[in-house]
Amino acid sequence: MLANSSYPPLLSRIYSVWYRHMRVYSSNLWSNGLPPFLEPLIFLAGIGLGLGKYVPSFGSVPYVVFLGMGMPITTAMMTASFECTFGTFINIEFKKVYDGMLAAPISVNDLIIGEIMWAGTKGLFFASAVLVVAAPLGIIPLPGGLITPLIGFVTGVMFASLALVVTSYVKTISFYNFYFTGFLSPMFFLSGVVFPESELPGPLRYVAHVLPLTHPVRLSRALCLGQLRPELLFDVLYITLFTALAGYIALKRLRRRLID
Amino acid sequence: MRQPYAICAQNIHKSYGKTKAVDGLSFVVKQAECFGLLGPNGAGKTTIMKMVYGKAERDARPEGVIDVLGFDPQYNPLNVRHILGVVPQEDNLDEELNVYQNLSLFAKFYGISGTAAKTAIGHLIEMMELSAHSKIRELSGGMKRRLTIARALLNDPKILILDEPTTGLDPQVRHMIWDKLRLMKKSGITMLLTTHYMEEAFQLCDNLIIMHKGQMVIEGQPRQLLQQSIEKYVLDIVNKDHAAEIGDCLNSPSIRADMSRETLHIYSDDIEALNEITTRLEPGDYFLRAANLEDLFIKATGRALDDAG
Repeated sequence: MLANSSYPPLLSRIYSVWYRHMRVYSSNLWSNGLPPFLEPLIFLAGIGLGLGKYVPSFGSVPYVVFLGMGMPITTAMMTASFECTFGTFINIEFKKVYDGMLAAPISVNDLIIGEIMWAGTKGLFFASAVLVVAAPLGIIPLPGGLITPLIGFVTGVMFASLALVVTSYVKTISFYNFYFTGFLSPMFFLSGVVFPESELPGPLRYVAHVLPLTHPVRLSRALCLGQLRPELLFDVLYITLFTALAGYIALKRLRRRLID
Repeated sequence: MRQPYAICAQNIHKSYGKTKAVDGLSFVVKQAECFGLLGPNGAGKTTIMKMVYGKAERDARPEGVIDVLGFDPQYNPLNVRHILGVVPQEDNLDEELNVYQNLSLFAKFYGISGTAAKTAIGHLIEMMELSAHSKIRELSGGMKRRLTIARALLNDPKILILDEPTTGLDPQVRHMIWDKLRLMKKSGITMLLTTHYMEEAFQLCDNLIIMHKGQMVIEGQPRQLLQQSIEKYVLDIVNKDHAAEIGDCLNSPSIRADMSRETLHIYSDDIEALNEITTRLEPGDYFLRAANLEDLFIKATGRALDDAG
C-alpha cells in the first residue's frame, strides 16, 4: 500500500503547491532569475546618473538613496501582482494546472494559500536582488537595508491577495491592463516611492494613506535608516488587516470559480 | 469493512443557472467493475465525474446522495481524492517539467516521498512504457495520455476516473491503452469511464448507462443490451432516392426504419427480410451489417446534434 491511510496535513499540502510553483519557475533559471538583478541595475543607473544630478538630496539622504530604499518594495509588488494576475489566470484557464491539483488531495484553500506564499517568496527574491545590486553601491544603507527582503515578502503576500481578488472577477485576460495601468501605475506615484507623500497637494495626501503601497514603502525606508517610530505600528496593522481581508475575499470568490 | 459498491449516487441534480446538467440521476458502481457513462456532448457525463471527486457540487437537495467508498465528496473531497485517481479530458501536465518530475510532483500531492515515491514512479514509467527524462513538449498525444494515466495511479487508487481517455488518439495507441486499462481492472481497480467510442465502452465496460439531457435513458451490460434493446441487423441505405422503391417493405412489423439526413437506416432481427430489400438496390448504395452499441446509442439519444439546441 503506497498511500498513507489519510491525506497529507495542511502545511504539507500548502508546501506542495508552493513547491510546484518553485519547480516550474526554477526550470528556466536564466530567463527567470537574471532579470530581477538587471532591472534595478538599469533603473538605478538611469536615475542615479541622470535625474539624480538634478535632485541632489531629499531631506537628509541623497535622492538616489531615497528612491533606492523603496525599490525592493515596488519590485516585490510588481512581481507578486504579475504572478497572481496573468500567472494565475493562465494556470486556471489555459494550462488547467489547478484542475490537476483539484483532482489530487489539495483543497481550494491550500491552492490559494500556496499561490500567495509563492508570490510572497518571489517578492522576497526580487527584493533581495535589488538589495544585492543596490547595497554595494551605497544606494540602500546597511545594516538596516537587510530587512528589505522580509518586507518584500510581506508586500508580495499583500499584493498577491489583492491580485487574486481581481482575478476572481476577470473573464478575459486583457482586462488586467486596467488593473496595471489604472491602479498600480498611478499608485506608484502617489505612495511616496518617488517623492515623500507629504509633498502631495491637500486631499491627495489622504489618498496616499489609503493606498496599500504607501505602508510597506514607509516601513522599508524607516527601517533602512534605523528610525523606529511608533507610527510604524499603524503601517504594520494596515498591512495585516488589508492582507487578511483581501485574502479572505480571494478564497471565497475563487472557490466559486474553481468548484463548479 | 468492504462495501459491495464503490460509488453510489442517488437522485443527483445539478443546475448551472437555468440549465439542468444532471436531472435526478441514480446509479451504482460495484467494486472492481468498469462502469461506463455514455451520452452525447452536454449529456452531463463530465459533470457527474466532477461531482464524484468533489470538483463540482450537486444542487442542495435532501434526497441527493453521493457516496464514494464511505465518503461524501462534497464534504470530504480530500478523503475521496486520496483514494481515487483522475484522468481528465484535457491533459494538464506541467510542460516545464519532464516526465519524472511531473510524477514526483503529484507524489508530493499525495504525501508519498523518498524511496516509496521513487519506486512507485519507476514502476509506473516502466508499466506505461515512458522514459523518465523526456520533455513534455516532445511527447506524442498517446504518451501524454499514458503519463496522465500513470499520474492518476501514483496513490495506488481504489477508483480510477477516466474522462474520454482515448479521444484524439490513433487506433494503435487506443488499443494499447485498452490493454493497460484491462490490466488495472484485473488488479481490482474500480473504473468510471466516459467515452464517445462505443467500441471502447463495449470492450471495457461491465455495466454502462446511456444519458441524455442529464437523465438516464438506458442501463445494463453491453452484451445484454445488444441482445435485448436493439435489433440484430442494420441495413444502411446511403442513397435515399431509393427510399421510394422499397417503401412498401417498411410496413412490415419486423422492421424499424429511421431516417437521418442522407441515409435511411432499417433495423430488423430478420436477416431474410433485409436481404430481400437489398435485391432491389444497387451494390454500392447499401451496407448490411450487425447492429452495434452505436446503433443502440442513437436509438436511445436520437439523431439531433447537440449544437442544434
